[in-house]
Amino acid sequence: MVRYDLIIVGAGPAGLSAAIIAAKQGVRTAVFDENERPGGQLFKQIHKFFGSREHRAKVRGFRIGEQLLEEARECGVEVHLNATVMGLYDKKEVLVMADGETHHFKADAIILATGARENFIPFAGWTLPGVMGAGAAQTMVNLHGVQPGSRVLMVGTGNVGLVVSYQLMQAGIQVEALIDAAPRVGGYGVHAAKLARLGVPFYLSHTIVKAEGTDKVTGAVIAQVDEKFQPIPGTEKHFDVDTICMAVGLSPMSELPAMAGCQMEDKGGAVPKVDACGETSIPGIFAAGDAAGIEEASSAMITGQIAGIAAARRLGYVDEEMFEAETDRLRASLQKLHEGMFSPQNRGRNDFTETDEGYPISQSLLHKGYMEDQEITRYPGAVSGKSGVHPVIECSQNIPCDPCQDACKFGCIRVGDEITRLPCVNEEAKCTGCGLCVASCSGQAIFLVDETYDEEHAAVTLPYEFLPYPQAGDKGVALGRDGREVCEAEVVSLKINKAMDQTALLTIKVPREMAMTARFFKKKEA
Amino acid sequence: MILDRSRDIGEFVPEKDDDLIICRCEEITKGEIRRAVHEGMWTMTEVRRYLRTGMGLCQGKTCGRNVKAIIAKELGVKPVQLEDCRARGPARPVEMGTFGDETEACIEE
Repeated sequence: MVRYDLIIVGAGPAGLSAAIIAAKQGVRTAVFDENERPGGQLFKQIHKFFGSREHRAKVRGFRIGEQLLEEARECGVEVHLNATVMGLYDKKEVLVMADGETHHFKADAIILATGARENFIPFAGWTLPGVMGAGAAQTMVNLHGVQPGSRVLMVGTGNVGLVVSYQLMQAGIQVEALIDAAPRVGGYGVHAAKLARLGVPFYLSHTIVKAEGTDKVTGAVIAQVDEKFQPIPGTEKHFDVDTICMAVGLSPMSELPAMAGCQMEDKGGAVPKVDACGETSIPGIFAAGDAAGIEEASSAMITGQIAGIAAARRLGYVDEEMFEAETDRLRASLQKLHEGMFSPQNRGRNDFTETDEGYPISQSLLHKGYMEDQEITRYPGAVSGKSGVHPVIECSQNIPCDPCQDACKFGCIRVGDEITRLPCVNEEAKCTGCGLCVASCSGQAIFLVDETYDEEHAAVTLPYEFLPYPQAGDKGVALGRDGREVCEAEVVSLKINKAMDQTALLTIKVPREMAMTARFFKKKEA
Repeated sequence: MILDRSRDIGEFVPEKDDDLIICRCEEITKGEIRRAVHEGMWTMTEVRRYLRTGMGLCQGKTCGRNVKAIIAKELGVKPVQLEDCRARGPARPVEMGTFGDETEACIEE
């Protein structure tokens, strides 16, 4: 039987991060993953991540996957793919199926980083082809280049529902609506706003009643719900869709720790009870990432590292002093992601009315997915009525993210050390109009506005991630934050360079009074 | 006590969505699960053995949560109060030819 110091199950963000930090200390580490490609869910994440530089913020998820793989290779981690872990038994024996054979391995420490699976809610017609997990649709579009359908209803407005909806739109699929049984948008307001300005409607306090069709989905019916989440008769709405995506939460994959005899608890699904380092009730068996409790990839990379260094200590590769220093650093980094209204301890709360700074939170953003025009200048990142070009930062919720303050070389934007703070624009600093802040904002919430572009026009520069790119001189209409056509618009320029990493800067010319209203561009059909 | 079986949980009352399939792999409906509870199957494991919920290809990864919610509602308890089914290997579907082909040599390799 082959022995390792450390066996890690799952080559996603948590598993790879654990493997890298342990292997760097000399731990002989093997990672097993059932998929043919490593990275877990990272390689289908084409959006820019949140957080701070230490969390690899503003880097697209799939690039983070590439970075982790490269690091894992450099420090000698063995990554076994198409290797399904079938069981975890007494004395840390791992049963793996690979190449049509079973193999037994043993290790002195095990880290379970098996991730999560998508939840489903049953409704009439939910077994029809065309009903699928949002994650499945994302895999089809971003990994396989296949459109799951042409018109989609998204059920769930958490970050998964919002992000996948936007990516479906980028892939040329029409998202007809997003619905959620909760009374407010569950995910980040900036993700919702990206969809709203494309004209995608949100139906909060709505549930799916049925999928129509006999052999496949041909339509969907939704209805408003009462306080007990029961459909209210007479409120039904019909959508002509061929695809219904479910983004109604994730459950941890916890068969292996349960099988091994770890003490379990329920945290939105069964998870092993773990200590501050992710160690379960069985010494030497750790859990990290979503397998220890649902969060997101940035946190998973940190909990993976914590488990990795703790495993290395248990194996005698790391002394107490280094262990303390590393875990202190990692916990501080994790804590930065755990502040603000979306932190794990605030899950399920919908009673926030003010930001940490005391600004009122836009109720329109929570209920319709976009901020009202008059709400924008409440926030410290948005000023209007200035001459010359300047940034307008439509960031109104305390989310952990700060790449904008690094983007501006002239000190125009400040978030501070607490990365959930709203960005402030320093009106004294001179904006050169370079647009790096626009491209660096993972939430696509920064615009450059020049209200004095010419006698009659203002120029608005917006982040643009759709192909084909519009060209200078193209005429069309500007869309407001709510996705409605607000005025005529003409493309002044389209800028794209390597630093922007595929987020083009589209500058449009609109009537001056539309400077604070126009937020997207739609080309006129030829 | 959740599993105090002398507790009266009332009669089975038909609901209009009883024909909704909950376990896709084994095609078990909501009504069948609810009825099983009234026939004395009060745990996830009992319902699984009685109806085969969660015994198909997905091994309950899709339906487990929903089956649990239905049993809990029928018993008038919260889903977290019910225990999951015992987890056993193999954790993923495997061909019997592969799984059954283990020899001493394979283990000692």
